[in-house]
Amino acid sequence: MADWEPKIVSFFCNWCTYGAADLAGVGRMQYPPYFRVVRIPCTGRMHPKFFLSALREGVDGVWVSG
Amino acid sequence: MEYERILSASGPTGGHLVRLSDKKEPKKIAWLQCIGSRDMNRCDNAYCSAVCCMYAIKEAVISKEHSGDDLDCAIFFMDMRTHGKEFERYYDNAKTKKGIRFIRSRVHTINPVQGTDDLEVRYVTEDGRILNETFDMIVLSVGLEIPKEIVELSKKLNIELTSSKFSKTGTFKPVDSSRKGIYVCGAFQGPKDIPQAVVDASAAAAAAGEILSSARNTLTKKPEIIPEIDVMGDRPRIGVFVCKCGINIAGVVNVPDVSKYAETLPYVEYATDNLFSCSQDTQDKMAQLIKEKGLNRVVVAACTPKTHEPLFQETLKNAGINKYLFEMANIRNHDSWVHKDSPEAATEKAKDLVRMAVAKVAMLQPLKEAELQVNQTALVIGGGISGLVAAKTLSNQGYESHIVEKDSTLGGQAKSIYKTTTNEIVADELKQLINDVTTDSKIHVHLNTTIKKVDGFVGNFQTTLVGNATETVIPHGVTIMATGASAYKPSEYEFGKDSRIITSLDLDQKLINHDPMLKQLQSAVFIQCVGSRENNRLYCSRVCCTHSIHNAIELKELNPNMDIYILYRDIRTYGERELLYRKARDLGVIFIRYSVNNKPSVAIQNGKMSISVTDHVLNRPIIIETDLLTLASALIPNPAEDLAQFFKLPLNEDGFFVERHAKLGPSEFATDGVFLCGTAHYPKPIDESIAQAKAAASRAVTLLARKNIFTSGQVAFINPVNCSSCGICISICPYSAPSFIEKGPFTGKAQINPVLCKGCGLCVASCRSGAIHHNGYDNGQIFNQLFAITELPN
Amino acid sequence: MIEYQKKIQNIAERLLNEKKVDVVLGFKKGTIPMMNQPCLVRVPDETQKLVWDSNCGINLTNYLTNRKERIGIIAKGCDTRNIVTHIVENKIKREQLVIIGVPCTGMIDKAKINGLMVNEIAEVSEHNQEITITDSRGATKTIQKKEVLQSNCSICKYKNPVIYDELVADLVPESKDIDRYEDIRKIESMASSEKFKFFEDMLSTCIRCYACRNACPLCYCPTCFVDESKPQWLGKGMDPIDIRTFHFLRAYHCAGRCTDCGSCERACPMDITVRQFTKKLEKDCVELFGWEAGLTLDKRPPLDHYKTNDPQSFIK
Ligand SMILES: Cc1cc2nc3c(=O)[nH]c(=O)nc-3n(C[C@H](O)[C@H](O)[C@H](O)COP(=O)(O)OP(=O)(O)OC[C@H]3O[C@@H](n4cnc5c(N)ncnc54)[C@H](O)[C@@H]3O)c2cc1C
Ligand code: SF4
Ligand code: SF4
Ligand code: SF4
Ligand code: SF4
Ligand code: SF4
Repeated sequence: MADWEPKIVSFFCNWCTYGAADLAGVGRMQYPPYFRVVRIPCTGRMHPKFFLSALREGVDGVWVSG
Repeated sequence: MEYERILSASGPTGGHLVRLSDKKEPKKIAWLQCIGSRDMNRCDNAYCSAVCCMYAIKEAVISKEHSGDDLDCAIFFMDMRTHGKEFERYYDNAKTKKGIRFIRSRVHTINPVQGTDDLEVRYVTEDGRILNETFDMIVLSVGLEIPKEIVELSKKLNIELTSSKFSKTGTFKPVDSSRKGIYVCGAFQGPKDIPQAVVDASAAAAAAGEILSSARNTLTKKPEIIPEIDVMGDRPRIGVFVCKCGINIAGVVNVPDVSKYAETLPYVEYATDNLFSCSQDTQDKMAQLIKEKGLNRVVVAACTPKTHEPLFQETLKNAGINKYLFEMANIRNHDSWVHKDSPEAATEKAKDLVRMAVAKVAMLQPLKEAELQVNQTALVIGGGISGLVAAKTLSNQGYESHIVEKDSTLGGQAKSIYKTTTNEIVADELKQLINDVTTDSKIHVHLNTTIKKVDGFVGNFQTTLVGNATETVIPHGVTIMATGASAYKPSEYEFGKDSRIITSLDLDQKLINHDPMLKQLQSAVFIQCVGSRENNRLYCSRVCCTHSIHNAIELKELNPNMDIYILYRDIRTYGERELLYRKARDLGVIFIRYSVNNKPSVAIQNGKMSISVTDHVLNRPIIIETDLLTLASALIPNPAEDLAQFFKLPLNEDGFFVERHAKLGPSEFATDGVFLCGTAHYPKPIDESIAQAKAAASRAVTLLARKNIFTSGQVAFINPVNCSSCGICISICPYSAPSFIEKGPFTGKAQINPVLCKGCGLCVASCRSGAIHHNGYDNGQIFNQLFAITELPN
Repeated sequence: MIEYQKKIQNIAERLLNEKKVDVVLGFKKGTIPMMNQPCLVRVPDETQKLVWDSNCGINLTNYLTNRKERIGIIAKGCDTRNIVTHIVENKIKREQLVIIGVPCTGMIDKAKINGLMVNEIAEVSEHNQEITITDSRGATKTIQKKEVLQSNCSICKYKNPVIYDELVADLVPESKDIDRYEDIRKIESMASSEKFKFFEDMLSTCIRCYACRNACPLCYCPTCFVDESKPQWLGKGMDPIDIRTFHFLRAYHCAGRCTDCGSCERACPMDITVRQFTKKLEKDCVELFGWEAGLTLDKRPPLDHYKTNDPQSFIK
């Protein structure tokens, strides 16, 4: 488990979390490189199909933030 | 300020809360209020800085959130001044839910504790006890002060300052300095917080715009338009540009490797890396490469689209490619910067992100932006002082407006107010203003009129007015909400049972009428916060403390022997209003604090009226006999539910309109083309209402000054074949963009007006039938990104 | 039941005679026991074929979708709630309908009855609240109806029609204090691995025939998501992941709309208890939004609104 590297897809709202993740970069905060960000125009865009599809494609986790 | 930096993620400690001297995590922090404010002994700043109470609470709350509930936060204060919008609720929450200690006291000294870096605070409580408490850290809530250089600059510019060295302005001209053509805003005008400063800034811009309006559009240049190449139906030919961003990216990510990898991806025609993709020469080179290689879609792997997307889109446009055939892979902010120590993983991630972007861009389609004409007229709802000033400001800039007032006269609440804090007679100024408005050929006033129906959207509203039994439809491009607020009719303190118990506005009326009874009074009592700051109205009405104190001074001046008592919870004479508070005390007005849990009570016996209140210094009840009791009643917003519905505007739980952004967008709504000012936004005195009215007008002009506007191409659209007419989209859209088609083969199916759609995607996600598509974020595009995630590189 | 039936026939005949409706939607006797079939009656003479008994579990609302004529529809409590949803979602207009409300005492579960007899069942009859079963060899058995109710009927809170124009009998007393969510709580309390196993087992026999979807009045989309092809993100075969995806998303599409009429479960040839999915969402809607489907014509289900003050406590 210790060197398990999960693949997590993160759906980030363009207006808040996406910008916050940009700022995390500006602040040089360090975090594990497991996330792949998909930019969406608003968390309202988040469709259950995306969760199901992502899990179906084999990702280990789905993170929606906005 | 220093403390804010410690809390900040980009601060010296990376957002970790530690004591600077020994890097220890503090367990107990104290905030001391009014440092360098409201103090004539140690500094010369008699005024209140207006922002410190709120920032101290905010810092304490954030500290708790950072360090957990064990952290002990105490705020030492004299009066808690949370008079801003939603501030009282924040204060209440900090007290009751976050467990922050609020200690009403005066701090005497701070002594270092021997052998440690701790500090001991020695303070006097309200009832005169002297106590000591030790803290790990003390934050001084220092006030605002005008720097020396600015004072000198003002001298050079020949503009007049107040005794507190802020720029002198009038209530009715809140952004005009004493010199014509020089406008002031922000904390130079008086101590204030961000929203107020933003309001001022827009107002000052409006004032400047008024005198410059004749020069508008005389110096603008038109850019050359490059024809767009039609790529519909062509096989994608993708160009990938991977940026090194100097060493920002290349220092961690193996950029050449990523660009080589990109070349192997489907539909990628060309891939390369650049040192700085955003530099002008690289931009030119990119445009040239697009033409040379016949690229029809572009991916830039670099920094964040939030700042750089428009720039690259411009490059696409210059190369004749629709700007929406573009996608960025954020390999800097989301990659190289945050995975400094794992270059390999970061390179892999960069490849994944590029692969995802390529997968998406291949699916993108060229988009059109809807263009719409802006009707150059404004509709101002509410003919109070805010509405009047807004219309006048627009007219001075050359724009026509209609004022809709439900009452039979103009002026609103200001009609009932006697004097401003700077002793201007409100009625005189108001008369002048009403005269200016009614004689202005660009302003059309509709009295006894209300709004029945609103159609259309930004740039092209059609509003139906009803007045005097007739309906008129007004076409307009923008709307300004200035529906104001009224005084609360108290049900407490025996109001209505005795003619000697009146409201603040009743007292103003007596002052306006020079009622002879006022001179005869032996004693007068004011009770503050009547209907404010409790239960269902958990907000501060902002004007009442100053109003009562000002009226107390008026009464003292009429009859210096009158005994005047002001029963209050906190005195909130923010900014230079503090000087009035001081003056009232100097004149002998007696201030007695009461607590919400132990309110004063009124008794009338044998024609005598007496008020009983528990004195906070003596801590026992005292009884005051009086001839006049004035209740400083709350401001409550005028009912506006119907307007909120018509224009799709949010109201907060107290009934005030909710602005676009609490700090940065105080005078406008999230709904395009609708603006906000005056007490409909939040209680505020006349000068602030006027500043906001100018601000709203100024924001409106930014739209009116353009003859037409383009909306985003990234909007939703419906394929009527798949629509099942369920109506969810129509119900759920926050912007009323969808509607049912009324004629033709698709009658009964839904459609979306691209001009109203903000592209939020809510309807797309909610349509069960999969009939709604999203330009730029369609299912297929997002699925493709998802499919690309799990594909392994190489 | 025979009184119900007479009354239904009379009302139907009258409505057609008076030309109040063009067609009456009801049930006729099926060819096998316990399988009444939906039918459309257009002339007064044919109203005699309309039947009513405890085998009318099919939700007739399903047959209303997008019809243009004036319809008299025979509807139980749950059916009327689906009619309400249909009206709200523009699938039919209120003015087109004459709702013939049936105060319902519950429908019987044929699987439970089949399980009681060894031989093939020849006839099932009912009298008051008793059911008499006769098998192919002439053996009979009489049981209480409440023992063989459809599982949704035994926890039903709205037996009486919530909206109607005609009523075939006096309203029946509604059950009080029923616990609708015992099964759901059990699943909720499982650890995630247990849950996974539970759903895996539950759906292992699903043959993806879509009978559950086709029986449901809520499923009226021109193209169901499972049939979407551009992009095709969901497999069409028997992959267990795709089967689960179908059930999860279908249940989500029914959130705040499902009336627990039981048609889906009744239609399943594999006896899969698909209502457990929809009931979980029903429970959430009650708890988070105080919402029960199909009770009012002037409000839309909670997922159809955008409100800034929606509950957020479930976001963790
Ligand atoms: C009790 C009290 C004491 C105050 N004391 C002071 C003070 O001492 N000093 C100070 O500077 N300020 C004071 N103020 C604040 C001052 O009154 C306001 O800042 C200012 O008058 C607000 O102007 P306004 O135009 O925003 O709102 P208003 O004056 O309330 O005007 C709103 C107008 O809109 C109209 N309207 C409302 N709804 C509709 C509708 N649906 N359709 C058409 N028309 C509509 C109303 O009839 C009204 O004419 C006080 C206010 C109150 C209530
Ligand atoms: S939500 Fe979908 S199916 Fe329903 S009306 Fe809108 S587009 Fe049509
Ligand atoms: S995308 Fe958002 S704004 Fe556009 S129609 Fe849909 S819900 Fe409305
Ligand atoms: S499952 Fe969903 S998409 Fe399919 S028909 Fe039912 S409601 Fe429509
Ligand atoms: S999901 Fe099943 S129980 Fe719910 S309404 Fe549809 S058929 Fe009835
Ligand atoms: S009816 Fe049963 S077998 Fe058929 S799809 Fe539904 S659950 Fe599966």
